[in-house]
Amino acid sequence: MTSPEERLQAAQQVLASWAGDTQSPEPNRLDVGVAAQNLIAAIEALIGARWGYLSAITGLDLGVEAGQIEVLYHFCEGAAVLTLRVATPRASASVPSVCPLIPSASVFERELVEMMGIQVVGTPDNSRLFLADDWPDDVYPLRKDAVLERGVKEQGNE
Amino acid sequence: MSEAVVQDKKRFVVPIGPQHPALKEPGHFEFTVDGEIVTGATVRLGYAHRGIEKAVESRNWTQSLYLLERICGICSHVHAMTYCLGVEKLAGAEVPPRAQAIRVLVAELERVHSHLLWLGVAAHEAGFDTLFMYSWRDRETVMDLLESFTGNRVNYSANILGGVKCDVTPDLASAILKGVDFLEERSRHYLNVVTTDEVFLQRTRGVGTMSKEVAERLGVVGPTARASGVARDIRIEAPYAAYADFPVQIVLAEAGDLEARFVVRIKELFESYRLIHEVIDKLPPGELQTRMPRKIKAGETISRVEAPRGEAFYFIKSNGSDNPERIKVRTPTLCNMGSVVATAVGHQLADMPMILAGIDPCFSCNDRTVAVRDAAGALVTWESLRQRRLAHQENK
Repeated sequence: MTSPEERLQAAQQVLASWAGDTQSPEPNRLDVGVAAQNLIAAIEALIGARWGYLSAITGLDLGVEAGQIEVLYHFCEGAAVLTLRVATPRASASVPSVCPLIPSASVFERELVEMMGIQVVGTPDNSRLFLADDWPDDVYPLRKDAVLERGVKEQGNE
Repeated sequence: MSEAVVQDKKRFVVPIGPQHPALKEPGHFEFTVDGEIVTGATVRLGYAHRGIEKAVESRNWTQSLYLLERICGICSHVHAMTYCLGVEKLAGAEVPPRAQAIRVLVAELERVHSHLLWLGVAAHEAGFDTLFMYSWRDRETVMDLLESFTGNRVNYSANILGGVKCDVTPDLASAILKGVDFLEERSRHYLNVVTTDEVFLQRTRGVGTMSKEVAERLGVVGPTARASGVARDIRIEAPYAAYADFPVQIVLAEAGDLEARFVVRIKELFESYRLIHEVIDKLPPGELQTRMPRKIKAGETISRVEAPRGEAFYFIKSNGSDNPERIKVRTPTLCNMGSVVATAVGHQLADMPMILAGIDPCFSCNDRTVAVRDAAGALVTWESLRQRRLAHQENK
């Protein structure tokens, strides 16, 4: 069996032309920074090399001061976890949709749109997945500065 | 199942749910039909969304454990364990081998309870209520074992950061072995029933078929994937806790239909029974816990565990304080839900509950802001709960 380190080395070679800042936080993990415009090409190369599967997409708000949101695409193969990190400005957060390559990512992207307020360009379905129908349009709960006003008001009723 | 036929301009849309579309949990599906045949499907979740990912950001590391364990009432141990394994990795803590083995033991008992629960639900959806009643009667055996082991039937709370709370006594060990042997015999009977009963096979054989290629493309996980021949099991691919010492044999089927999903889950029960025996025979001696710091070193980690329904994925980030910076939870049902929408097309409307039940969906795992109101209709807050507890203790 191939070790996670060897698998990650193979992935690093596949991604060489698009890789930005690359780090290995743990022996079985590799984090590769990728610019938003290169994301599709990078994932296409991974799929072409038959490397792993998309296990999850994490939205990570770095806070108001940093002014950035990171979108993490976690690919797993065996024990190896490869994370493509795409940074996007908080004020105009946008990433391309990966659905044309990985159709099952639709649910992950719907979550990203409603929870983090990231525009996912080209995603097939922008409708609410988890949040209630009457949830305000401009409140993205998983952003660090989200004001969950409705809850506060109702708490005041007590 | 609530059914009201809505006429669109060109097509008929049959809404199913949000009240118990198949099992007694909320999810909403809209099936477009041509006569009895489904031509399209969409899903809307969130009816049990509780905002847990947001809530943990304002709780400390210990409080978060209790909250995350309540993501799911069925695989609660999986959530607690995935979280603990991740946080321990960030803190660089060495968890004693006995604790890791006990985590495996509880996880496998939980898998037995979860698979038996599913067997009953799926049989019920097929209209086979005798199988439903028998499998749930037998499931009580493992529920009682879990209760005597951890003190709880559900939300066992076996984990703490740095180890486990409960130990295996000789009396408990013999009770578990006895219970498991009884269940093994029963499971043989169930395997025989689901593969030979003609009427039941009419509902499962060749229904909801998903090929290996489709399963891989849709990214399905767990028994649903393994029933389509995708060899993916985190216990084997990336052993965690004590699974490296207690290796698991993968259970696969090729057919990819509902029958294969029954066979895979029942055969996985036998693998769990074998593992439970092995862990009890070779339980390492020693401590149950190691001391954990209150603040966790800054960093990010990923923790993956094979839940009864497939891979559970946690991304955990610490900023060095006593609260988590961000915890992302991706549960197996979210991955598998896509397969329901994809495999529904071309099937009879009446097969939909079975196809949905076939992935063993867990909506509360999927959905994670519930508003709890008291009798007067006011919102119950965290602080008011705390006050209530204090008042209760004073009155005692």
